[in-house]
Amino acid sequence: MPRALRGARRSIRQRLPNFRIHRTGVMAFLGVLGPGLIAGLAGTDAGGIATYSVLGAETGFSLLWIMPITTVMLLIVLEMAARMGAVSGQGLGDLIRDDFGVRWTFFAMVVLLIANGAISIANFAGIAAALEIFQIPRFASVPLVAAGIWALVVFASYRVVERVFLSVAVVLGAYVVGAFVAGPDWGEVGRAMISPTLTFEPSVLLLMVAAIGTTVTPYMFFYLQSSVADKGLGPEELGFERADAVLGAVWTNSLAVFIVVLTAVTLHGSGIVIETAADAAHALAPVAGEFSELLFAAGLFGASVLAATVIPLTTSYTICESFGWESGVSRKFSEAPVFMGLYTALIVIGAAVVLIPGLPLIGVILVSQYLNGILLPIILVFMLRLVNNPRIMGTHTNATWLNVVAWGLTGLVTLLSVVLLGSSLADWLGWF
Amino acid sequence: MLFLSQLVGRPVRDRDGGAFGKVRDLIVALGEEYPPVTGVVLRVAGGRDIFVPWSDVEQIDATGARLHTSSIDITSFRQRTDEIRLWLNLLDKQIVDVEDRKIVRVNDIQLAPVDGRLRLVAVDVGLAGILRRLGLSGPGERLAKALGIEAENYIQWEDVDPVESSVSSLKLRVPHQALATLHPADVAHIVEQLAPRDRAGILAALDDERAADVFEELDADDQVDLLEALTPERAADILEEMGPDEAADLMADLSDERQEELLGLMQPAEASDVRQLLAYGEETAGGLMTTDYITVRLEETAQEVIDQLRELHPDADHVYYLYVADADGTLVGTITLRGLIVAPPETPVRDFMRPEPISVQLDLDAEQVGAAIARYNLLALPVVDEEGRMRGIVTVDDALERALGEGWRKRLPEVFEPVDER
Repeated sequence: MPRALRGARRSIRQRLPNFRIHRTGVMAFLGVLGPGLIAGLAGTDAGGIATYSVLGAETGFSLLWIMPITTVMLLIVLEMAARMGAVSGQGLGDLIRDDFGVRWTFFAMVVLLIANGAISIANFAGIAAALEIFQIPRFASVPLVAAGIWALVVFASYRVVERVFLSVAVVLGAYVVGAFVAGPDWGEVGRAMISPTLTFEPSVLLLMVAAIGTTVTPYMFFYLQSSVADKGLGPEELGFERADAVLGAVWTNSLAVFIVVLTAVTLHGSGIVIETAADAAHALAPVAGEFSELLFAAGLFGASVLAATVIPLTTSYTICESFGWESGVSRKFSEAPVFMGLYTALIVIGAAVVLIPGLPLIGVILVSQYLNGILLPIILVFMLRLVNNPRIMGTHTNATWLNVVAWGLTGLVTLLSVVLLGSSLADWLGWF
Repeated sequence: MLFLSQLVGRPVRDRDGGAFGKVRDLIVALGEEYPPVTGVVLRVAGGRDIFVPWSDVEQIDATGARLHTSSIDITSFRQRTDEIRLWLNLLDKQIVDVEDRKIVRVNDIQLAPVDGRLRLVAVDVGLAGILRRLGLSGPGERLAKALGIEAENYIQWEDVDPVESSVSSLKLRVPHQALATLHPADVAHIVEQLAPRDRAGILAALDDERAADVFEELDADDQVDLLEALTPERAADILEEMGPDEAADLMADLSDERQEELLGLMQPAEASDVRQLLAYGEETAGGLMTTDYITVRLEETAQEVIDQLRELHPDADHVYYLYVADADGTLVGTITLRGLIVAPPETPVRDFMRPEPISVQLDLDAEQVGAAIARYNLLALPVVDEEGRMRGIVTVDDALERALGEGWRKRLPEVFEPVDER
């Protein structure tokens, strides 16, 4: 009997991108592409592109000051996730279950499911928006792509999908070129980054929370921690993991800054309100001219498909592993009902919501990122509790200054969400 | 039936009915088939945990506990090495369920009076345990029943055994010795599901030959990860037991220094086989072949060959074809297992061998090697050097694996599901 005929349940860590650190030749160079960088890249998905574009178009440079703050947040969170993965050798879902028990795990997983479900919807909205630029109606594009993603992962390999779309996402570099071509007053950009302006305008608050939610996304650190744990990187390699996490955070946020700057220069004040992807694509006109729509659509499509593939998988694996349910895409439905059910449902729901007639795609994307921003503090509290538990982390718990910063930022995001909810409510009740 | 989740958080009263605190954890002493509860950890006012020995406990059930005494010695609890705290050390942790080849979690812990003591009898790994802890037992189980889902799933404690692991959370469903009786593919399957640093712990339970079989079942990436987790000496011992082609494939993925280190630790004969194979291009006959094959001499008789086989005790893969070489090592014929058995015992090999065997050169492209195997319908194809000397064989499964690409292992089980059933 051929020995390869065997069950092929693979863990989340093996399924998801896991670039081995090869030690010779070209591979040594490519090995730099660690999980932190991939987490960062995957973070610039439909939600990121849409949110940063709207942020730039609506508020110009005036909210640029939150970018350094979100960078620091992302950096801190990714570093903690990488450190926890390295020291404990376990994923975040595993640790939550081990340490907090069934009830808290259930709560955390419901939060994760809502947050990731929203992102799944956002990415299908991104797919629909990108293809609408080519006049392909979403009723055709979305079900087709959804079925394609489902089938590719189940019948082929996730890695194939990942390689292809990760490379497509590289066209987002056009924003960097574009920002320089557009030639803003860089001094002004610099000043805007360090001069906070506060306002209680609900629409601005919403953009702020959405920007935080899209930059620091729970699934990124679930994914990163699993990858690090899977590589078997130990505490002795913490230096590498830290560098990788910092690189990922700085990379993705630099890109975010360029998107905001370019859309601010080209769209802010022009009276254009971003309602469709085509509006957002105009931002690329200085660098791509008549090809700007093509370029934008390609970037948005690639990033959206990549995230739309990663998120249902990450979510299903995390949930099933923390509850001890059978998981793996090669399992039959009857063998892993919860896993296959969740995986399928996340794709089907993501696609179905986008098909609701008349739904504004950009609006849907923004709301999903906003929801992530609101749910983020919950996951952060779990993380901070775990990373400070010496039973898990030994001597690698957070330093005091790091705790002060991390808890401070968590408090800040919570406060922002509460103020936003309050002001929206007040607005809705007609108090002002 | 009593579950840990029904006890924890319940009030503890003293002999006179006065509130004392709440049950926080139970302590059991390992070693017996069903470990007895030896004490209770109480959370008293002020958030302090104190330990009460089992002899002070008069009664304990889902409504709470009552103590014999009204005053207890408030000594701080020190865990002995053979004791575990159920809530802290066992609940919510992972268990490798070897029988069903998957990793499950301890959702609850079942206790029962056995021989007059309350004992740990089973771990609850089913949906029922999760529902009980969420406080949804009633409606949840009705829903599960309506959907036809089996909510109850227990593993008897006598089937659970701790496995060596950096992560103290991991337990193994069967005793270590039982691992050795599983099919290597099943052990590999379990290994793949574990976090990397737990994998080496599983391997520690196996002898080198067994471990080598498990290695051969793993995907390339997992092989490297696992090898890196072992000491170089153990890694070298396992590599020696692997087929030279498998060992060479694995080592090709390692760094040059690591290769040299391991080759230096291996037996010289095995090391030189692997070294030779490493030198050939991966996409050639040389890269595909193994040096595990059996040659016989022209003048040997059928009976002598059979006696030799008995002595060599070869793997199934290598017994179907035997290769005939002359004094220079040049390949001159093949004999099949059938030919060998039907030949009269005293016949020399030269009389019943098939002359002019099909063979390929070392540098032939892997794809053409596969084509040749398919065309001639062979189980194995000999590989020769420029002088016609035999160097190795390419087996049909290795050629197939190359032809179908890496993904085939993943897809095939879908097609051949019944084969995979245990």
